[in-house]
Amino acid sequence: MKKKIGIYGFTGCAGDQLTIIHSEDKLIPFFDKVEIVSFRMAQSNNKECELDIAFIEGSITTEEQKKRLIEIRNRTDILVPIGTCACFGGIQSMKLGDGKYMDRYRKVYGNNKITIDKAFESLPLNSFVKVDYCIPGCPISSLQFFSAFTKLINDFRPVLYEFPVCTECKWHENQCLLTEKNLPCLGPITRAGCGAVCLDHSIPCVGCWGPVDEANIAYESKLFLKQGFSSQEIIKKFRMFGGKASQELVKSLIKNENK
Amino acid sequence: MKKIEIDLISRVEGHGGILVKIDNNNVEDVKVNIYEGPRLIEQLLIGKDYSECLNIVPRICAICTLSHRYASIRAFEKILNISIKKKVSLMRYLMHMGEIIESNSLHVFVLALPDFFGYPSITGMLQDHKDIIMSGLKIKEFANLIMRKTSARMIHGENPIVGGFGKYPTNKELNEIKRKATELIPMAINALEFLSSVSVPTFCERKEFITFMCLNSGEEFGFVGDTVLVSQGEERDIEEYEKLTNERVVSHSYAKRCTYKNKTFTVGALARINLLGERLKGESYNYFKKMYNKRWKKNPLYNNHAQLLEILFALEKIPSVVDDIKRLKDPALEIPEMVSGEATGAVEAPRGTLYHYYNIENGLIKKADIITPTEQNLDEMERFLRITAENLLKKSKKEIEPELEMVVRAYDPCISCSAHLIKVVHETSS
Repeated sequence: MKKKIGIYGFTGCAGDQLTIIHSEDKLIPFFDKVEIVSFRMAQSNNKECELDIAFIEGSITTEEQKKRLIEIRNRTDILVPIGTCACFGGIQSMKLGDGKYMDRYRKVYGNNKITIDKAFESLPLNSFVKVDYCIPGCPISSLQFFSAFTKLINDFRPVLYEFPVCTECKWHENQCLLTEKNLPCLGPITRAGCGAVCLDHSIPCVGCWGPVDEANIAYESKLFLKQGFSSQEIIKKFRMFGGKASQELVKSLIKNENK
Repeated sequence: MKKIEIDLISRVEGHGGILVKIDNNNVEDVKVNIYEGPRLIEQLLIGKDYSECLNIVPRICAICTLSHRYASIRAFEKILNISIKKKVSLMRYLMHMGEIIESNSLHVFVLALPDFFGYPSITGMLQDHKDIIMSGLKIKEFANLIMRKTSARMIHGENPIVGGFGKYPTNKELNEIKRKATELIPMAINALEFLSSVSVPTFCERKEFITFMCLNSGEEFGFVGDTVLVSQGEERDIEEYEKLTNERVVSHSYAKRCTYKNKTFTVGALARINLLGERLKGESYNYFKKMYNKRWKKNPLYNNHAQLLEILFALEKIPSVVDDIKRLKDPALEIPEMVSGEATGAVEAPRGTLYHYYNIENGLIKKADIITPTEQNLDEMERFLRITAENLLKKSKKEIEPELEMVVRAYDPCISCSAHLIKVVHETSS
C-alpha cells in the first residue's frame, strides 16, 4: 500500500514547501510512489487522516498552531521538521529568552487586546512534540529532501550531513574567507547541506542551516574577536538563524566571558 | 442565515481564510482572515547593520525573496550614497525578471489555471492539458535557473549585496540563459493563446474602474522606479509611501490594510499592465493590443493574463540584457562608510509595489518599515469577494466556495509577506 504523506506549514516564509514545488517534473515520479493526502499550498481537496509521514515547515508562534501540531503528531507515524524554522526556530527565534518579547510585541500591537489567537515567541517543533528526524535548511536542499524522502518511504533511516559547511567549502577548494580574507564566516559552526553556495560566491556563511552538532564555538568566537568584533556583535551574528539551538550554544560563550 | 466559511484557502502561499455571511438574500459581511503567525520582523531588524538586514528580509517570503532583498538594497544605497555601475543594474534587472517569471508562472500554471478548468490541482489538469502545463513548468524552471545564477540559490540567495554582487555569472552561463529565453518565447505565446481561448467569468466584475498603482519604470515597461503612478494620471514620490498606503489595522486579520484617499486599490501585474502596457515592446506589445480591453480595468481575474504578458515581455527582454552584461567588466565592490540617515527603496515585487524604509544611525538600524503588496491588496480582495457573493447569492454554499477561492487566488496573495508583522485591535463590540 502507498504511504500516506502530509506536508504542512506553520510560521515561516514557505520556502521549504516551495523548494518541493520547485522540483517541477521531478516531483511527479516521487509523488507517484506515495499518496499526498494533504499539501495545502499545492492542492485543494486535502484530507486530514492517519499519516505515515508528516513533513512540517515553520516554527510555532500561536496557541492554535501548537494545538494543530500536537494533533498532527497524534495521527502520524513519523514526524519530520523541514527547514531551519521547524528544526531550530529560525530568524523569528533569534532573540529567544532575552525577556523582551513582550516589549517588542507591545511596540507592534500597542496596548490593544488581541482576540484572534494568542501569540508567543517563536519556538521549534521539538519544544512541543517528539520529532523523528530533522531536515534543516533555509531553505532545505531539494536533493537532501528527496534523498531522505526516498529512504523514509522505503522504511530506511535517512542519511543527513552531520558535518559543517566548512567541509563542503573545502571540497570546492575555495580560499578560506574566515582566516585568509578576514571575513566573519560561520562555515565552521554551521550544519552542511547547502553545498557551500555562498562561499563559492565569496560571501561569508551567515549560518542559515543552524548550528552543527559539537560546534567549536569558542574558537570561532576567538577568530571573530581578532577581526575586531565585540562579544555582543559576535553573539548577535551567531544567533541570527539557529534559534533555540544557538541560544544554548552561546550560553558557554556568555559563561566564559563572565569568568 | 447562510454562512460560508472557508477555513484555509488552498493553493495560495500562507494561511488565510474567507468568511462570508449571507442573511435574507443580503451579503452581511465579507472577511479575509489572515491566520499566519506573527514574526515581528521589523522589530528584529533594530540594531542590525545593513548586511545583516539583507540576510533577514529575504526570509519574509520565499516567493518574493529577491524583491525584498532588492528593495532593501535600494534603500541602503540611497542612505549610503552609493552609485552603482551599469553592469550591476543590468544584473539586478536580470535577477528581478527571473523572480517575476518564476512567481508569475508558478501562479498562472500551477495554482490558478486549474481554477479556469475546474481541477482541484495541477496534477488533475496534467492528464488533459499536459502540453500547456509542461511548458509552464519549463518556463518556471528557466526562471529558477536565472535566480540561481544571479543570486546563488533558487530561494534566499545571498549573492546580491549593497554595491553589487559577490560573484558574476560566466559568459557560458549567460549564453545559456539567453538561448533558453529565446527558445521559451513560443511557449509563452502559446500559453497566452490558450488563456485567451477561455472565457473569463463575470461573477467578480465591477461596474466602475479599479484604481491601480505601480512604480513608474520610465520610458520602457519595467519593475523599478522612484515614483508611483496612480490611475487617472497621478504620480507621487516613493518617499511618500505612507500617504500612498495609509496602513490601518482591522480586527479580523493578522495583516494590516491599506487604502488611498479612502478607496481600495490594486497593485501587481494587472496594475502594471493597465498603467504601463503601452510601454511594452515586440510580441508582448502585439498581444497586449490584441487581448486588452475595458474588462481588464474591472475584473481581477485578468491578473492571470497580465502575469503571462509580463512573462512574455521578460523572455523577450532577457537576450538584450544578457548581451549588455557580457560586454561589461565586473566592477570592484565599494565598501561604504557607516553613516546615519533614512530612505525608502521600492521595487515591483511580482504581486505589486514593495516598500522598504530604513532609518540608520552610525550604521545600525533604528527604525524599519516594510509595506508589502498583499497588504495593499487585501481590502480590494474583500471588495471583490463581496461582489462575487452578491452575484452568486442564489447559488448553494458548495457552488459559491470555489468561486470565492478563485477570486482570492487571482490576487495571488502572499500571506507570509503580509503578516510579517501583525497589528490587531480588539473588537470592542464582541
